[in-house]
Amino acid sequence: MKTKLSIAILSALACTTASAAVKVNGFANIVGGLTSSDEQVYGYDDRVSFSEGSLFAIQVIGDINDKMTATGQIVARGANDYDPDFEWAYLTYRPNDKLSISAGRLRLPLFNYSSSSDIGYSYHWIEAPQAVYAVPFNNLDGLSLNYASFAGDWEYNLSASVGTYEGETDSTPTTGENVFLLSAEAIYDIFKIRLVTGASKTSFPFDQSGNPGFVAAGQALDALAAAGFANLADGLRLEDDTGTFTGLSLQLDNFNWFVSGEYTEVDVEDAFSSTDIAYYVTAGIRTGKWTPSITYERAEGEITTRFDAQIQALADLSPQLAGFASGLVNSVGEDVDVWSATLRYDYDTNIALKVDLTRHSDDILGNDVTLLRFGANYVF
Amino acid sequence: MKINSLLKIGIASALALSATFLASAEVVVIVHPSNAAALDGTTIKRIYLGKSTTYSTGNEAIVINQVPDSTSRQAFDSEVLGRSTSQISAYWSKQVFTGKGIPPKEVQDDSAVISLISNNKDAIGYVDKTAVTGAVKVVPVN
Repeated sequence: MKTKLSIAILSALACTTASAAVKVNGFANIVGGLTSSDEQVYGYDDRVSFSEGSLFAIQVIGDINDKMTATGQIVARGANDYDPDFEWAYLTYRPNDKLSISAGRLRLPLFNYSSSSDIGYSYHWIEAPQAVYAVPFNNLDGLSLNYASFAGDWEYNLSASVGTYEGETDSTPTTGENVFLLSAEAIYDIFKIRLVTGASKTSFPFDQSGNPGFVAAGQALDALAAAGFANLADGLRLEDDTGTFTGLSLQLDNFNWFVSGEYTEVDVEDAFSSTDIAYYVTAGIRTGKWTPSITYERAEGEITTRFDAQIQALADLSPQLAGFASGLVNSVGEDVDVWSATLRYDYDTNIALKVDLTRHSDDILGNDVTLLRFGANYVF
Repeated sequence: MKINSLLKIGIASALALSATFLASAEVVVIVHPSNAAALDGTTIKRIYLGKSTTYSTGNEAIVINQVPDSTSRQAFDSEVLGRSTSQISAYWSKQVFTGKGIPPKEVQDDSAVISLISNNKDAIGYVDKTAVTGAVKVVPVN
């Protein structure tokens, strides 16, 4: 039903291309992968799968008038059974060369590659580094203001976004209200720096989770509150708590070689969740049609210590509830190192072929997985 | 023996000639003769990468590109924009899908560029130096 609707909208949009005011572009990533053992990583296991990293997308931009455009992006992801979804749908008002205001559903500019992270063709990786880019929400329902200009030889871009988001982490709905995000980037010749900071009122409701562990955790928190520890129970719950996001990205790219890195920190003020620090460093060379590169990624989820005193006090009264509370806090720690070697080959001006070998080490699960991925990226 | 040497010399000169020819495949940026905008390498780069859409005169720039197969296009991308043609294509695919811009219109060859520019006072393009006619004005890049 949803598919039919999307197709109907798409054909309606396509029919108007005759007016020349509508532009249709698209992109596709066909990626296959398999691991060296039966351990899973990024959804891949030891049997070749083409669904995890593949997607098809169509983007339609319509001119409303000289200063306004409407943009829709329909993405069908293999991981989602190629069910087409309107991931972006927004109107943009551009009063002049420097300023633009967009409203609707748009990409939240968290990272250096946020706006192009689905377009494999636009970068050297087979997929943007997951330690940093795998966040539960990517798109914002709201407003975004962008300002781009020059100062001498420097080029800069400022953006401010406000709105709400909805996503999913570990089969649990994750929502953010009162989201605001500020970003600033400056480019000088081959150098680019980007800073971003933001906050939102975040909720991760255990009782709506599809993960039995979190449902049980919600019930245990209810029991904790009923036993007279409502303070601790409410503290642990991630409901309407302020989450903050900070990021820094540095890049050197002279088109013959590049080195870049990105660092992000995500924290929720008063909840069971960990403080998540993630970063990557990547470097490569472009030689003719070939772009070999290497990338190192790291994700650390530092478990919170803010409930230690309360859990300690609880241990004397109810070792069982205290054990549960510390178990919940400890369950979200993360310690992941990833090394990847990627080779890109520009087969044609709109097709790139890639092969990638990734070594993923999770020190908490105590496993090392080697993942081989290969694929093609296409844009039209 | 003699024929063989002659042949070798012939091939060598042909190679030398083609090398000279390649080295002299120099592109120049052109505008309509009436276009009085101040243009230098940086401004041209910004206009061609969609970072500026107007001339210093305030008029909107109508940017004319050539198809990726054209030798003028390849020379322009590497000499003026400092990137390969496939890198420029990657740049535009990113701009298009992030809603930041739409790539300039592409025409087949130098003569198509000349005819468009001679008929449009706000158009900008590039052609091989040898293709320049009196109907357009050459802009020094550096």
